[in-house]
Amino acid sequence: MGRIALGAAVLAIIVYLIFPVIVVLAISFSAGNFLTFPPPGLSLRWYLAIARDPEWVSALKVSLQVGSLSAIIACLLGVPAAFALVRYVIPAKALLSALILCALVTPPIVTAISTYLFFVPLGLNNTVLGLACAHAVSGTPFVVINTAASLRSADRNLERAAIIHGAHPIWAVLHITLPIIAPGIVIGAILAFVHSAHELLVASFVLGGLGKPVAVKIWSGVQATSDPTIAAASAILIGLAILTFASAAATQSLARRRNA
Amino acid sequence: MPLLLLLPCLIWISFFFLAPLAAMCWRSLASEGSSLEPYAVLFTSPLYTKVMLTTVKTASIATVGALVLAYPLAYVLTTASRRLRALILVCVLVPYWVDIIVRSFSWLILLGDNGLINRMLMRLGVIAAPLALLYTAASVLVAMIQILLPLATIVLFGAMLRIDRTLLAAAKIHGASEWQAFRTIFLPLSLPGVYGAGLLVFVLALGFYVTPALLGSPRETMIAQTIMVEASQLLDWSQASAAGAVLLLITTVIAALYNRYFSLDRLWGGTDK
Repeated sequence: MGRIALGAAVLAIIVYLIFPVIVVLAISFSAGNFLTFPPPGLSLRWYLAIARDPEWVSALKVSLQVGSLSAIIACLLGVPAAFALVRYVIPAKALLSALILCALVTPPIVTAISTYLFFVPLGLNNTVLGLACAHAVSGTPFVVINTAASLRSADRNLERAAIIHGAHPIWAVLHITLPIIAPGIVIGAILAFVHSAHELLVASFVLGGLGKPVAVKIWSGVQATSDPTIAAASAILIGLAILTFASAAATQSLARRRNA
Repeated sequence: MPLLLLLPCLIWISFFFLAPLAAMCWRSLASEGSSLEPYAVLFTSPLYTKVMLTTVKTASIATVGALVLAYPLAYVLTTASRRLRALILVCVLVPYWVDIIVRSFSWLILLGDNGLINRMLMRLGVIAAPLALLYTAASVLVAMIQILLPLATIVLFGAMLRIDRTLLAAAKIHGASEWQAFRTIFLPLSLPGVYGAGLLVFVLALGFYVTPALLGSPRETMIAQTIMVEASQLLDWSQASAAGAVLLLITTVIAALYNRYFSLDRLWGGTDK
């Protein structure tokens, strides 16, 4: 009896979680002119509308640039940091961890206005580079967390064996350990990319004028229009999320198979 | 050596995160006239008092709601078979990686006058005219809880995995019913995880912008929206910075509290406190 009630409750909660995602996906394929669910018919017209609209295409391009650049920076910063945090005894480790992670809990509006104010004298506002540098800060924790997890489960004896056989320690890390923990780094990089693609407030302050990224474009659209273009753009982002999840799962199972 | 590895990361965070925050705090003190005026406005104006009250109230209810729904979900995750667990995790994680704007937008469609929920209720004959579901405190909460639920579930699940399940078996051997074993053993042991998840979710809920801006009524503005208006429409950067500094202080205190009791070190394999 209790089990049935629990099962029913969990099912209801999962429907509550998943249903809004399904609604947006369904409406993006709508043949109608308005945001109604269920849609009157199915078509790809709103996806075509996005592909034909230079503003949407440029927004997607900007998001892709900012996202990749910030993910690369996050990896360059995060992977060495993960090594230090996992393998060494460091004084004030808790403080350092807090420092690395705090970008994730700082309210986005606070990060946004402070970044904007700081970028004014530096001339970094309205540049792709500026936004990527700012997004790299919140992307780094994702890389550090996932790299650290891989690093902890990796067998360090392989690296030691290479060193005993005469390899330079740095060579051993680059050629033995790095390939082993690569899946963790990749997952971290993907998460950093998605985080950047979704980020709205810093993006709209730093890059809110011409050449805005997708999140800012969607936000201005959501407030103004009522045709399914937004749903299609949203669905592209959902596709991105599912792709992220699938590739993360695939990398993980690949790594598990290699370890076995 | 470890310092060398951490240095790039620390320099980057100092330059692109801490320095901007310092710049904001500095800006909040550099207004014309009395330098503490923005803070005086913050603590005396009825507008800010109301906004802060709304923010704390909304964030608290959303946190409790997310925890109440996340608890059974996380519990089932710990007991489910491998395949069922994977299926539930997909259902939890996919929405987590769907944009907050998109998820809020979806509720806008569902809760509208012509939305699915109103049409369903009308077809069932429960109501004659569409209910005004949108632009209320309730519509904001429904969306916020859905948005915060995945994170709450994942954090709770992680905490529940650390509970020694043989204790439950031991209780049952000694004659406890399933419910007794849960209530006297599992529930108390899971409470620290609940508090941890609650602090985390509350901090995030305090800073919500998109959801209340899209689904809420102008009478129930949250603090992030007010800061946005001060900065981008009124161009009163001193006032925006002062409000930002106070919000930053509040979240830092809560995050420090979290770190004190639920050591962040754990992520890198440190020991539990």
